[in-house]
Amino acid sequence: MSHEEYQELLAANALSALDGAQARELTAHLESCDECRAQSFAWEETSAMLAYDATPIEPSARVRENILAAVHLESQSSVASKAQVPTVVPFERPAKARQSPFVSFAAIAATLVLIGLSISLLFVWKEKRANDAEVARLSSEMQQTQAELQHEREVVSFITSPGAHMAELAGTNMAPGAHAMIAYDKSGQAMLMARGLPSAPSGKAYQLWFIKDGKKMPGRVFQTDPSGSGMLKDQLPAEALSAAVFAITLEPENGVAAPTGAVYLVSGS
Amino acid sequence: MRAEVSQVSDIALLQAIARGDEAALARLYDQYRVILFGLLVRILNSREEAEDVLQEVFLQVWRRAGDYDEQRGKPFTWLVTLTRSRAIDRLRALGSRQRLATSAAQEQPEEASDALKETYRSEQREIVQRALADLPEEQRRTLLLAYFEGLTQTEIAAKLNAPLGTVKTRMRSALTKLRETLGTQTGLLGGANR
Repeated sequence: MSHEEYQELLAANALSALDGAQARELTAHLESCDECRAQSFAWEETSAMLAYDATPIEPSARVRENILAAVHLESQSSVASKAQVPTVVPFERPAKARQSPFVSFAAIAATLVLIGLSISLLFVWKEKRANDAEVARLSSEMQQTQAELQHEREVVSFITSPGAHMAELAGTNMAPGAHAMIAYDKSGQAMLMARGLPSAPSGKAYQLWFIKDGKKMPGRVFQTDPSGSGMLKDQLPAEALSAAVFAITLEPENGVAAPTGAVYLVSGS
Repeated sequence: MRAEVSQVSDIALLQAIARGDEAALARLYDQYRVILFGLLVRILNSREEAEDVLQEVFLQVWRRAGDYDEQRGKPFTWLVTLTRSRAIDRLRALGSRQRLATSAAQEQPEEASDALKETYRSEQREIVQRALADLPEEQRRTLLLAYFEGLTQTEIAAKLNAPLGTVKTRMRSALTKLRETLGTQTGLLGGANR
């Protein structure tokens, strides 16, 4: 990616709106590019102002109490840890100021209890975090499965609707393992399901084409997921409703009016 | 204007926090709790989750105040970026874009204790909301979907059924226009409380 292309990503990055791979690539670039880093900070300042669009709300008083109690505990633990490993030899105190052995033991015991409590608290906290993460992961999986099921129901409902047509697209030499099906009804509403496509390079996307009597009519663009699958809903032009050939090419991500890239999938005539 | 509101600058507070000053953390919390909590509730739509994340944010501030770099911008930017980043992480961990429905989130905000600060924040709010209102509807929607719902450009394109390229253009144009508008408002951008 060129320096200019990275600059184009900075605004979206300030909104955390880049996809994972792009965000990681940009982060690596920012490490070495002062100009982009300065611009990135400027975008972040603008982005941060959007916080003012949210209605200000007073949190409950216990949040403040919890925070201050936690930092106080951390401070105490830190002091206690340092006290356990002195780095300098302390001055001997005057006899009258010297604490009794009982007081010293009590102080050490209290410190140890405090450290023990802190460690226990840390373990409990970590365990809770791990459990929360697991619940969140399972919940996410369940929702994904539900979404997939819903999607499959939608597909089945569409292709089994009265008057629905199906056409098969086979991979060309560009993607011999790719395969796609396009279903469309008599109103021209179409649904494309493709799999086995390589992921489109940055700035590129796959575009659907309707070809009738040599005339190439542009459809919409789509991206694939990490497994190489993609789905698209589109509207067939009226003249492509009968005996059209469908093809998929790799094009600039905004799509083009006439095909310019390689053909990855094509249906029989 | 900011300096009139706060006798001790935010940067000085962060420096004190980095030295282990618990009172400084309390002051920073008092200064920003209302806006940060409002932001968290807007993103997470749950008071409970928002309070949990707000605690995490200020514990992180306590541990990482020494990492704050003035070159990166105002402490406010650092705090908001930290807060939003935590909120988006939580939102994604929850695995759902569907807002957690809680009636608590609809509660009226309680009055902030420092009327002067609140007035100042309200002024900021008005300016930002005016700037947002000036954006074309589709640009504003794209911006807010990213900012408050944590959606990526690809997810926004799918949600709006719009080409990815169009979403990218709308997002960049929206933020550019917002920067231009806010940049003309004295003290909003670049005028740090240092």
